[in-house]
Amino acid sequence: MKFIKKTIPLLIVFVVGVLSLISYYVPHKTSVNFIELMSKWENIVSAFAFLLGLISLFFSHYHKISRKVDGWGYSIFVFIGFFAIIIPAILNHGKSMTAAGPTSLGWAYSSIYTALSGTMFAVLAFYIVSTAYRSFRIKSKQAFVLFVAAFVLILGKVPLGQIIWTSVLGWTHVTVSTVIDWIMTVPAVAGKRGIMIGIAIGAIVTSFKIIFGIERQYLGKD
Amino acid sequence: MLKENLQKFFKIDRRWIFLLLAVCIFVPIMKPLGLPNKTIAPETKRVYDYIEKLPPGSFVLFSLDYDPSTRPELHPMATAIVKHAFRKNLRVGVVTYIPGATGMIEEIFETVGKEYNKTDGKDYVIFPYMPNIVAAMTQMASDIYGMYPMDRNGRDTRTMPVLDGIKNYKNVSFVVCITGTAILDYWVAYVGDKYSVPVAGGVTAISQPGYGPYLQTGQLKGLLGGMKGAAEYESLIQSPGKGTSGIDALNLGHLLVLALILTSNIIILIVKFL
Repeated sequence: MKFIKKTIPLLIVFVVGVLSLISYYVPHKTSVNFIELMSKWENIVSAFAFLLGLISLFFSHYHKISRKVDGWGYSIFVFIGFFAIIIPAILNHGKSMTAAGPTSLGWAYSSIYTALSGTMFAVLAFYIVSTAYRSFRIKSKQAFVLFVAAFVLILGKVPLGQIIWTSVLGWTHVTVSTVIDWIMTVPAVAGKRGIMIGIAIGAIVTSFKIIFGIERQYLGKD
Repeated sequence: MLKENLQKFFKIDRRWIFLLLAVCIFVPIMKPLGLPNKTIAPETKRVYDYIEKLPPGSFVLFSLDYDPSTRPELHPMATAIVKHAFRKNLRVGVVTYIPGATGMIEEIFETVGKEYNKTDGKDYVIFPYMPNIVAAMTQMASDIYGMYPMDRNGRDTRTMPVLDGIKNYKNVSFVVCITGTAILDYWVAYVGDKYSVPVAGGVTAISQPGYGPYLQTGQLKGLLGGMKGAAEYESLIQSPGKGTSGIDALNLGHLLVLALILTSNIIILIVKFL
């Protein structure tokens, strides 16, 4: 049993991992064919993962409704939302637009999905503004530097801010764009580059650990 | 007494702040201030210049990967760049790796396509949604038709005039990825760097600073950032749209955030010395 559950998956990961890695650097017809085959398999596996996720989501919310757990009413909307999109999609063969205008799928997309998704994201803006007022406290030198950088960036990002900068600090002959340019190309890039290099090294190390069977979390606990 | 009164400002009902922000956003939308957008970011100008220099008939691949949540920032810039490409008579291909983007892509090509009298299959092609980004990008390096044998309506792509002479990235003149996700990073790493395809992007304002390293090294040919980037591009192609009209709301919204942060910190300072 251990052979099927542990050894075979580890062997598959090792072989596929090493071959994919080699194929990336070897510009040969065989390696290109291998990568193409893997790409197609990945897409097929992704499609099954979607289906698995959908079934799991449905079961989870079905159980919430049947057991009437706290907030079970919200779970009903998962099914309403799903059927509100999937039924028009099936009826219109996935087409949201025809020569005659939007189909019922197009209507569901713009009037339900777009509206709900936009609303959820827009609500964030209100919380950000409220939190900025309540929580952004300049209590240290670092916080002050952060505040100055944020202040200049926010001001320079909008025409009204640029006008204010020019009228207040125009005598310095330093434009807000110049200051923003410096912030973005020197300290911001330095910080971001450090993070990117760190993430890349971490990803390489984790990949090697998975390929060589040191990291086995993905196999589950059994 | 004054100290207590000032401290009351911190206990203010957050709904007042919500109302203030709502007013700052709604008023300019209903009655635009019409403030001039004085500066054009060099990154935006570089995208414009790159497309401007492409000869007519060049194939440009758009990766439009955003959903309705980021529509206000990204949809205007996608519309503006597609307009520019059609105006230059470039051939356009569209891919997406976000399922929620498909409706907005249809909307762009329905309106802009008609405006420039462009035909689906002859002047542009919209490929279907693909779930696996890296697999699709890798496959397109050797054979686009291996990954996209059909367009989103099930028509054979091999016989489409728009794809005449297009086999892989070697035949793609420019890639533009507009996204609110990290998909632009994938285009840079898996396509731009590996196959020497020029890549440019359009991202939300919040993720714009993160692309500084790519711009500095030339891995990204240009970048449009947020609604301002969209407004700048609309101004470059002289076709004002939603980006230009939305910039007024952004004006007041941003200044409100600054005013509130300043106010709260000034109050703290005063309270400290009282």
